Amino acid sequence: MWLIFKKEFKELLRDKKTIIFMIGLPLLLFPAIFGVAFFFMSSAADKAENKVLKYAIVGEAYAPAIVQSFNDASDKFESVAIGDETDYAKLIKNETLDFVLVIPETFNSDVLRTGQHKIELYLNDAGLNKVMGRVSDIIDEYTDAFQQTAFAQLNLDETQQEALLKPIKIEKQNVADDREVWGERLGGMLPYFIFILCLQGAMAPAADLGAGEKERGTLETLLISPMDRHKLVLGKFFTIATAGIITALITVSSMAIWGLVLSQGMAVEFVVKIMSMIGLVDFLLIFLMLVPVVAVFAAILLSLSIYARSFKEAQSYMGSLIMVVIFPVIIAMMPGVELKGGWVWVPLTNVALAMKELFKGTMDYFALFGIFTSTAVIATGLIFFCIHWFNKEKVLFR
Amino acid sequence: MIEISGLAKRFEVENPKKLSEQEKKDPRLKGRYFQSVRDVSFTCEKGQVLGLLGPNGAGKTTTLRMLSTALKPDSGKVIIGGEDVLSNPNIARKKIGFLSSSTGLYGRLSGRENISYFGELHGIPKNVINARIEELADLLDMQTFLDRRAENFSSGMKQKVSIARAVIHEPELVVLDEPTTGLDIMATSTVMEFIQRLKDKGTPVIFSTHHLDEVQTLCDKVTVINQGETVFNDSLAAFSALSGNDGAVGQMHKSFLKTLSMDSEEMGNVVNL
Repeated sequence: MWLIFKKEFKELLRDKKTIIFMIGLPLLLFPAIFGVAFFFMSSAADKAENKVLKYAIVGEAYAPAIVQSFNDASDKFESVAIGDETDYAKLIKNETLDFVLVIPETFNSDVLRTGQHKIELYLNDAGLNKVMGRVSDIIDEYTDAFQQTAFAQLNLDETQQEALLKPIKIEKQNVADDREVWGERLGGMLPYFIFILCLQGAMAPAADLGAGEKERGTLETLLISPMDRHKLVLGKFFTIATAGIITALITVSSMAIWGLVLSQGMAVEFVVKIMSMIGLVDFLLIFLMLVPVVAVFAAILLSLSIYARSFKEAQSYMGSLIMVVIFPVIIAMMPGVELKGGWVWVPLTNVALAMKELFKGTMDYFALFGIFTSTAVIATGLIFFCIHWFNKEKVLFR
Repeated sequence: MIEISGLAKRFEVENPKKLSEQEKKDPRLKGRYFQSVRDVSFTCEKGQVLGLLGPNGAGKTTTLRMLSTALKPDSGKVIIGGEDVLSNPNIARKKIGFLSSSTGLYGRLSGRENISYFGELHGIPKNVINARIEELADLLDMQTFLDRRAENFSSGMKQKVSIARAVIHEPELVVLDEPTTGLDIMATSTVMEFIQRLKDKGTPVIFSTHHLDEVQTLCDKVTVINQGETVFNDSLAAFSALSGNDGAVGQMHKSFLKTLSMDSEEMGNVVNL
């Protein structure tokens, strides 16, 4: 069996396509995801922050101080004359303006007499923009000033001011720590990427080791060698599983290493938070959970591959398998689906949920053992099926 | 001695609706099953070369696959050196060297690695394998390309390596399925010489072919299979005598047709399954 494994693995390492899927892709995917996401988010935010916003103020005469404040910030705002035009939406949609501020004629600093002022801000709020924030920065100065004027008129001390502004305050006492919060947000995505990468890593060698043998015409020669069929299957199975596990290992390591690199070098807030919270043991457990999953993938892939007449046919079967794998992982990402009740027994979904729990730091380790064992039992059953499949002439000589 | 008697094998047709009208008329097709081999029997003694002839779809490859243990016969016996292949397939596999018609090699391994791998599968020690590869490389003229990756080999190079791979374990019987198909004259000549060497060493060789000149040059015995049944099994001389000639290739063609009880026109209509 090890002779088969040794030979298959040697061939595998000489195949550029397999190396790309097994090592290159998982090694580069996470930095690419982190890097590209960070780059686009930060550049979009910078652009929105530094863009000179074109604006018009209707009712300038009622709030000359505010008008002056906008004029003073001419490096950030550019006043555009709109005459009598009242179709503000049109002006904004055709990009003549970024926003229009409509100040009511009752506007003045004595809010105790006039009541709350409502200034209308017309803007296109679809997509990333910072119009509301940047306008608020200016308006808020006047809000504070008006408040102080009112408080002075009422002769209120600081405690009374606070009570008046917010008579009832809810103080949130979150029992979930930061790790659980972030784990809930991101933990669902983790198995999605890892499962797909493991499957991709195992697919190329699986197609080669089953259908590839048929297509090259080496299968017949192999079948008449004095090697028991189950050893042939196990040799091939271990090669595919090893490729999948290497992919998993590289994926998890890549995630950990690049996460650390980015958190140290680029100080991305959420990466820093996650990496400081998840320990080596959690990564190790995530990796261990992947071992029986990869075995399941390897056994199914080899069965499909040996059934296929050609490499192309094998790839089409395997393409469909990706959908079968994605489905239980997507279920695990659904809101309300937790590692409780019946979900503990749904194959792959349970592993995906367990990985999420590990990420969150809320894993019940007894359940983890159960999930590991049940997945390992499924993998063993599939390996037996694969051996049975490999003994069928109808499959081998289709 | 190799003794094959009453060999039969049927296959389930995956999709009978997809068969052509001609295929549907084949008497071996029974419902969802196609009786590829119905009754094949022949013997081959030590030092003999047996030529297995038959039209396309006659059941030659299926017979050779059963002989090599790749397929399990539904009935019949295959005795090689006194061992029943069906009850001891792994022992029989050590005794047989089989070259399939596809000459498939592992492209990312070198010629040497391909041969060595099969030697190791046969449990031969590494030093013996290395010595045997050198010997075969000289015999088959492979020294110049043996350490190159097989993916770039010409069909002649592939066939030479495939033959070396088939005989690395010095089998008691060599079975070759159309070993010269697709080869140029030089490569064909090398293969023919190699079969002659095996014969000289006393190793029995069974090979299927469509080339009657190869039969004439190498064979001691001829077995003809038609529609899954042995229709002729005798010496080369007896085969030649069927057309009452002295063994000229053109006349042997007539002998072949005679075993099938067909004339040349009928021969062109042989079902190709």
